[in-house]
Amino acid sequence: MLPEFLRYDFMQNAFLATTVIALMGSLVGYFVVLRRQAFGSHALSNIGFAGAAGASLIGAEPMVGLLVFVLGAALLMAWSGRNVGERDVSVGMILMFSLGLGALFINLYSANANAAIGILFGSVFGIDASQIRWITITSLVVLAGLIALFRPLRFSSLNPDAARAKGIPVSLIDTLFLLLLGAASAIAVPVIGALLSFAIFIGPASAAQAWSGRVGIGLALTALLALGEALGGLVISYYANLPASSCIAALSFGLYALSRLTRYGLPISSLSRSSG
Amino acid sequence: MADEPLIHARDIAAGKGSASVFEALSFTIAPGSFTALVGPNGAGKTSLFETLLGLVPLHAGTLAVMGDKPRRARRHIAYVPQASRLLHDDALIGREFVSAAYQAHRWGMPLPNRRRQRSRVVDAALETVDASDLARRRLSTLSGGQRQRLLIAQALVNDPHLILLDEPLSQLDPAARDRIVSVADALARRGIAVIFSTHDINPVLQVCDQVLYLAGGRGRAGRVDEIICDSTLSELYGTSMRVISEGGRRFVFEGSQRRLRAVGQ
Repeated sequence: MLPEFLRYDFMQNAFLATTVIALMGSLVGYFVVLRRQAFGSHALSNIGFAGAAGASLIGAEPMVGLLVFVLGAALLMAWSGRNVGERDVSVGMILMFSLGLGALFINLYSANANAAIGILFGSVFGIDASQIRWITITSLVVLAGLIALFRPLRFSSLNPDAARAKGIPVSLIDTLFLLLLGAASAIAVPVIGALLSFAIFIGPASAAQAWSGRVGIGLALTALLALGEALGGLVISYYANLPASSCIAALSFGLYALSRLTRYGLPISSLSRSSG
Repeated sequence: MADEPLIHARDIAAGKGSASVFEALSFTIAPGSFTALVGPNGAGKTSLFETLLGLVPLHAGTLAVMGDKPRRARRHIAYVPQASRLLHDDALIGREFVSAAYQAHRWGMPLPNRRRQRSRVVDAALETVDASDLARRRLSTLSGGQRQRLLIAQALVNDPHLILLDEPLSQLDPAARDRIVSVADALARRGIAVIFSTHDINPVLQVCDQVLYLAGGRGRAGRVDEIICDSTLSELYGTSMRVISEGGRRFVFEGSQRRLRAVGQ
């Protein structure tokens, strides 16, 4: 009945985790791209690395360390500046400090360097049933939060000044969104890897926005592309015996490149246009 | 009731910190009127808008917006920021941008059964600003004037009684300026009061009912002739000012007859 690769428990877990992460992460990612917070998203995942390493060091559950670090960093980012430009530097500084901490924790916890590689690049085939539970519950919370915030978030992403004038609590919504993004990053890190979270959060959403100028269609397309690339990556990884994260990252980049090509043409032609 | 002013401000002073950006400012805004809010950069035009919206605290005076406190009246007011304040490579189409404001203060997702109503409101708003042709165009492909019209359309979907246009002419070419002015004039004729901030009075000289001039921490409201004249502007700027009328336009200069320096052009 089942295809060969789904006969193993670890493959079933991997499929389940990847499906949930791809759907939830990419939908959050749609708003990340709309709000131009890609750097913040990248930073949050990488900060998770320090949290997981720290938790391992003191013998706690890595997922708890991830959540604590990432949510703390999300709050710091929210308070660090109102406009994107001034936030760029502070996000980078928070990221730098966390990576420094991460390096320290790994250094102190030299027993298992493989754990660090797992956090940085993901270990989707190492996901167990208890992690699946974590991932599913957190994803449902994040999606519920996204649905609750949908209308004010969409408006304040597109026109923050007008939203503030309407009495919409723009800063609060910004903070809540960063917390949702933080929670989403925390559960995505063990699956896709801190360094490769762009593949889920940014790749599908930016391709979808290149192909559709509508929010509804864009969100549906984002979820579909994310699912396709994530599950496709797993299958390729199984048959070609390549790391799953690498396959997902390659598919994500391929989609992104394709969306740029179909929308803007070859880079050569845009170069000649801008110089002419 | 119809003659009751939308805004009644008496001797107001306001500012973000403890210092006031302007003081002793009095004016009224009548329903469906067109007010030109004029003054040099930094004179407090945006701060005045924020005061009317209840975002900046009042330090002195009384301010009634639709007979109520500004914070409570602001759902009937729409604020339109400068187009240049928006992100530049936005991938959404005009229609989606405009409809994002519809009931945006409510939590949750829009209900599918309200779709037709929302669609009608958005179509009407696009038509009002003469931007139906921009509905399917991506924002990234639009000019400054086209974006400005979409911003105004977005402000209209919540059915405001008053619309605050913050420097809508900045960075536009003359043809686009004329178009924005006629869109704003049409709004006033439909009964939506307009406060139109600009550092140059000339583009709105023919359409404005009153001028609210801010300079030097003070402000005066009145007819164009009462405000854009040597005596009022000299008083506001606290130095000798000259107004020269030429070909239906007014030019404001600073200084004596011998050494004139153009202001606000």
